[in-house]
Amino acid sequence: MFVHYLDLAWRSLKRTPLVSGLMVLAIAVGIGITMTSLSVYHMMSMDPIPEKSDTLFAVQLNTMDEGNQWWTDDDLPQQITYKDAMALYKADIPAKKVPMMRTGFTVHMNNDQVKPFLEGTRVTGRDFFSMFNVSFKYGDTWTQNQEDTIAPVVVISEQLNEKLFGGENSVGKEIYLDDNSYQIVGVLNNWDIHTKYYDLTNGAFNNVEAVYMPITQIPALELPAWGNTNGWKYEMIDSYQDRLNSETFWLQFWSQLDSPDEKIAYENFLTAYLTEQGGLGRYTREGVSFGLRDVNGWLEYNNVVSEDNRILVGLSFLFLIVCLANILGLLLGKFLRRAPEVGVRRALGASKRDVFKQHLVEVSLLGLFGGVIGIGIAQLGLWGVRESYSYYSALATMDLSMLFAAPVIAISACILAGMYPAWLVCKTQPAIYLKTQ
Amino acid sequence: MFEIKPIFNALLRSKAGALMLLIQVAITVAIVSNAAFIIQDRIEYLQQDTGYPEDEVFSFTVFTYSDDIDLIQKFEENETMLRNLPGVINAVAASEVPLSGSGSASSFQLDADPTDSKSVRAAYSGGDENFLDTLGVSVSEGRNFNPDEVIVSQDLSKIPTVIIVSRAFLEEMFPEGNGLGNTVYMGPAPLKIVGVVDKMMGPWLKDRAADNYIIFPFLQPNNFQKFIVRANAGEREAIMRQIEDIMLEDYNKRVITNVRGMDEAKANYNASDILMMRMLVVLIVVLVLVTALGIFGLTVFNISKRTKQIGTRRALGARKSAIIRYFLVENSIICTAGLVIGSIAALYLGKALLQEYSLPELNNWYIVATALFVLVISLLSVVMPANKAANISPSVATRSI
Repeated sequence: MFVHYLDLAWRSLKRTPLVSGLMVLAIAVGIGITMTSLSVYHMMSMDPIPEKSDTLFAVQLNTMDEGNQWWTDDDLPQQITYKDAMALYKADIPAKKVPMMRTGFTVHMNNDQVKPFLEGTRVTGRDFFSMFNVSFKYGDTWTQNQEDTIAPVVVISEQLNEKLFGGENSVGKEIYLDDNSYQIVGVLNNWDIHTKYYDLTNGAFNNVEAVYMPITQIPALELPAWGNTNGWKYEMIDSYQDRLNSETFWLQFWSQLDSPDEKIAYENFLTAYLTEQGGLGRYTREGVSFGLRDVNGWLEYNNVVSEDNRILVGLSFLFLIVCLANILGLLLGKFLRRAPEVGVRRALGASKRDVFKQHLVEVSLLGLFGGVIGIGIAQLGLWGVRESYSYYSALATMDLSMLFAAPVIAISACILAGMYPAWLVCKTQPAIYLKTQ
Repeated sequence: MFEIKPIFNALLRSKAGALMLLIQVAITVAIVSNAAFIIQDRIEYLQQDTGYPEDEVFSFTVFTYSDDIDLIQKFEENETMLRNLPGVINAVAASEVPLSGSGSASSFQLDADPTDSKSVRAAYSGGDENFLDTLGVSVSEGRNFNPDEVIVSQDLSKIPTVIIVSRAFLEEMFPEGNGLGNTVYMGPAPLKIVGVVDKMMGPWLKDRAADNYIIFPFLQPNNFQKFIVRANAGEREAIMRQIEDIMLEDYNKRVITNVRGMDEAKANYNASDILMMRMLVVLIVVLVLVTALGIFGLTVFNISKRTKQIGTRRALGARKSAIIRYFLVENSIICTAGLVIGSIAALYLGKALLQEYSLPELNNWYIVATALFVLVISLLSVVMPANKAANISPSVATRSI
């Protein structure tokens, strides 16, 4: 029966090419515009590490004097001081935690073949890769001993390995960062995350770093932060040691807490730590305040999905409603004009239900066509987004779920719009039409 | 004379179609007026005067990775070299570049003692006495830095004692107008204001105090050093293309990055606003088109449904103009109702956006203008099918089907 209805629907569409074309166009444009903004929204708000997002926590500590405000909702700075980062890193719990910071170097091979270029570098702990599920193509992360002895070792990205070594196993080889040579201990697999959730301080959608090195290099190399350094009081900072001892915030810190018990234990630990630090007279606060947010909470807290994007998604759904009203109007006309034909079918024994179903199949077909063309329009729209804003280039794409969503939204929208006209038409009294014809 | 009553009665008999048209018109007005307002808001923001000749200025970053040279001396040489390039007006090594989206800010106090002192936040940058000229701005009151005031040093304990400020900062700090020659404090360090620039914006256009900018006669040559160059507008692109080679030829243990014009840097910083604007423009255009097509389609359908009646009216002596008028009036009735509802919806949508997001309050003229615009579009999309209807021959009425 369904196939027969499809056949009827196809014939009906062919009979009124102009109106059918208009309807398909309306739904296609509506879906195209909606999917464009929805795709960007979807990619922005998508969980970047679904398998672990509820066990990774960004740590925030309030180590400011009472009364100091921050621009976050709860007055907590997003980053922490060097001394706190190191203290938390040396603590016994939890098993996995990493301090980190972004810096950068001139990368070269100390020869004339490779023109020196700048690369962003992440300085962090050896557990960074296992915590954030980054896998190795060759080699592994540096050892604890290498970290403790400040050994000149680095892990590099697949892209950098491709660029410098043509993709072959480069573990054990040397590269130059500024004027020093470093030994490569590991090469990562391509790490494709659209949101750089582990460090949102300078652009949530920037690329991940190409070079990784042990956190202990910070004091050894006196590394500058390629990120924000924020202070809350006047401090005389004349030397790098002053910076390390200062109350300025410039490192990120993440802890992996696998169970609610571990989280409670860690909260108790942080409370004790902050109470102790307050007691040492570092700052004057009543009580302690800190933040532990998991990955999704962290993205939301940092307003990763832009306001503009929310407005656009809202407006494009309103736009879809306009398209639907448009289709509803046209369908009313189209279906009611067919009332005599329906009258005959009813007289020949078709039930109201059959007539209703037949018309819904017809509008679903419209929705399907519209949805498919809509995907094309959305691709065009996303291309436009990528062209005008390269920063969004990884975001302005449709993943599989969005590709499926497009026809589903189109067909459901069409069915919604088609219900009323289909219901009107199936109420047709056969007798009236049989009489006049 | 417009036969409103019979048209209205006829409309009541086919309510659903008219209702759909009404909804479309209403939503269109609500969206288009708000979107147009957001677009206008962004255009104003993007086209604001920054004080700088953006098409003449460009900047680049020098990353020196070797310590075997004296950076102070090298950058001094490089500044001279850049200034001597044909087409270049001036060049300077600077700590921050305005409009670039990256910079430093601090609060400045009225008194040395920070407690209870009035404090104003401002972004700041440093460079020598060529800084202002390189940016294409000039001191309107007071004076530029004297060469002997400029400190170029690695030693952070040498601090400058004079500053040049933007008019906006001066007026916020000294609303009485006695700012020039007065002293402000950055921490404990006193800074005398020697000059005022009427308009020079800081690094972040979206900052609450984007106009507050302070220049220090100070440079700490760094292995991550920014340079600003001003060239004749026509020659800027050519100079930008050569700059890497010129700088590397002079000394090659460094990387030249981020060579970009001030206008490009600004567009980059504002890319999300430009994107939002483009998407809204597309949305408006397509929305109006879809609504127009909807009206067109519905009129075509109405006419085909009423072919017989139209023929009868024509046979009974109605002029062609009367037929066209009928459809125009019918459409106007629906549209007017839609426009009224849409305008109210636009007001509410505007209020909701205002509350939820950082948008200014919707200007009501946008609603009026949009309503008129949508009315014109709707009438235009009726005219063609109505014309066709007017050409229906009276004989149609007398024919039996």
